[in-house]
Amino acid sequence: MINPRIDRDTRVIVQGITGRAGRMHTRMMRDYGTRIVAGVSPQAGIADVDGVPVFAACRDAVAATGATASVLLIGAEQLLGAIEDAVAAGIKLIVTPTEGMPVHDALAARRLTREAGVTWVGASTPGLAVPGVAKLGFLPEASLAPGPLGLMSKSGTLSYEAGYRLAHHGIGTSVWVGVGGDAVKGTRFAELVPFFAADAQTQALLVIGEIGGNEEEEFAAALTAQRFAKPVFALIAGRSSPEGLTMGHAGALVHGGHGGYAAKKAALEKAGVAVFASLDAMTLGIGRTLGPR
Amino acid sequence: MFLLEHDAKELLAANGVAVPAGILVHDTEIDAAALPPGPWIVKAQIAAGGRGKAGLIRIADSSGEIVSHLRAMLGATGKGMSVRECRIETRITGVEEAYVSLMLDPVAAGVRLTLAARGGVEIESLAATPAAIRGATVAPQLPELVTQAAILTAGLAPHLASALNAAARELAGVFLAAELSLLEVNPLFVRPDGGWVAGDAKIVSDDNALVRQPWLAELLERRAAAYSEARRKQQHGCDYVVVDRDGEIGLLTTGAGLSMMLIDELRAAGLKPYNFLDVRTGGLRGDATRLVDVLGWIAEGRRVRVLLVNIFAGITDLGEFAQLLAEAFARTPQLKVPVVARLVGTRLEAAREFLAARNITVVTDLGAALVHVRRHLAAA
Repeated sequence: MINPRIDRDTRVIVQGITGRAGRMHTRMMRDYGTRIVAGVSPQAGIADVDGVPVFAACRDAVAATGATASVLLIGAEQLLGAIEDAVAAGIKLIVTPTEGMPVHDALAARRLTREAGVTWVGASTPGLAVPGVAKLGFLPEASLAPGPLGLMSKSGTLSYEAGYRLAHHGIGTSVWVGVGGDAVKGTRFAELVPFFAADAQTQALLVIGEIGGNEEEEFAAALTAQRFAKPVFALIAGRSSPEGLTMGHAGALVHGGHGGYAAKKAALEKAGVAVFASLDAMTLGIGRTLGPR
Repeated sequence: MFLLEHDAKELLAANGVAVPAGILVHDTEIDAAALPPGPWIVKAQIAAGGRGKAGLIRIADSSGEIVSHLRAMLGATGKGMSVRECRIETRITGVEEAYVSLMLDPVAAGVRLTLAARGGVEIESLAATPAAIRGATVAPQLPELVTQAAILTAGLAPHLASALNAAARELAGVFLAAELSLLEVNPLFVRPDGGWVAGDAKIVSDDNALVRQPWLAELLERRAAAYSEARRKQQHGCDYVVVDRDGEIGLLTTGAGLSMMLIDELRAAGLKPYNFLDVRTGGLRGDATRLVDVLGWIAEGRRVRVLLVNIFAGITDLGEFAQLLAEAFARTPQLKVPVVARLVGTRLEAAREFLAARNITVVTDLGAALVHVRRHLAAA
């Protein structure tokens, strides 16, 4: 079972730590409480970044620190190779915020990580977090408050907005997983259903989807198959998007009746999910069930 | 991106796949010498399925008929899109219509190959007939796909099995080499002798593979007008789509999901947004150029009467963003509409002060921003 729960003891490396984004997000993740034990960079002559030791090879970083998780701040073209390095080094949880990964590379990375029993979250993920404890990736503190709501989202920004509003209404998050907006990804909504069903801290679940693909329909089927007993809420972006055009996210494409809003809403509602038409309705609806507390 | 049929067929033809001879036309002034052999079929080029049922695919037996079809279709709106070009091609007769498609299977992490001996416009309804459509997902490699095609065509009439196997092999080669997300040929015309031609072609390419797929970069450059959104992303690093030419609210927004949701909510509230935008504030890096470009595009909206800025900044320094925004406004004098800014993030107060001095209202609540937007629309 995929388990995205991390804690203050989870040992994390950052591949690409010496880049601009690598340095900045390493600092922000550490400030939040994440235990960053090493960085990886092929760049010679950098011994550490803000005191975090830097290794030339992923396997050396893992061997020296016992790290089990990795955040990859690596360019899209190099991402598949870096994921291969992480898997070969024995990393069990891989988070890749990078946008723009070629989709055939993503297919190869999904095959590789599944065969190796590694959890891959991304690409194009804002990251994952256990609010108040630790985060892997970019999730902004303003949106992260500890609480009973499991949250997963394709979009980064829409989830920031949703988390921010909910936090202001006194509703916090148990575990937050940004699965990303790409068409082929490491972890899909449906694959997190067993985890959220079993997670004792999660009392309800919010899924933030969008047009394109069939991940929401697949998630609805997984809820039914799992006999998921906790309340589930959904927000689906893009109901007024034109057909045939990609709306920002590579996966957000409606064509020839595939990936449309109506089918997603119907499938979710059939599985007992409350689908909200607006952010305000979402905040009120979840508030009625969970809080404010 | 979703390729127009003409470009999809050109890609197939360039890779040795048989397609009907055809040309692309933008007006009714057709050169008889340039026409492929008749009889013909005239097909509107829009990025949507179901063209046949919408009257956007018509047959012609004379050049006069071609011209009258072009008159009817060019400039018309079909499936919510304006028809700017048509493909005229040789009509293939005396054939059976089969079906082949390859698509990424994001769950099983492979390529799904689907075949049907009877294809054509009614393919969707065939799904109810067991065994009429045969499909399986295999590893994304040519030998696996070729082997799977042989398994899926077992028991079919020899000419159909032969055509489907050959087409699957050739199309799989293109699918893998060109890094496509979807390649569907429906109908696949099959002759009694097992010869075949791709009657239609639906292709979704991967914009993220642009740097290593020269054909895609070349297509975007040569056909920039037909793929303006993808071209713009390639050149400017942001996603921008005009969603309503008569829209009244220009949007300067970041984040694809939040921008889509904002458009949905504005429409539901009876308001008319002009554009979708994911400006990617994280990629500005202290340079106002991208904001200047975006404001220039929004200024082209003839009915735009107010600009709504919505930035939820996880990391972006809003103080710095406000300065870039002010610089961009100064460099876009043609945009003469009031501005409402809804900002959340670090150094909000610096941004608020800076923009207030320039007569721009800053709020943190999206609902409050919409109240201001409505007020400006009512006043304008």
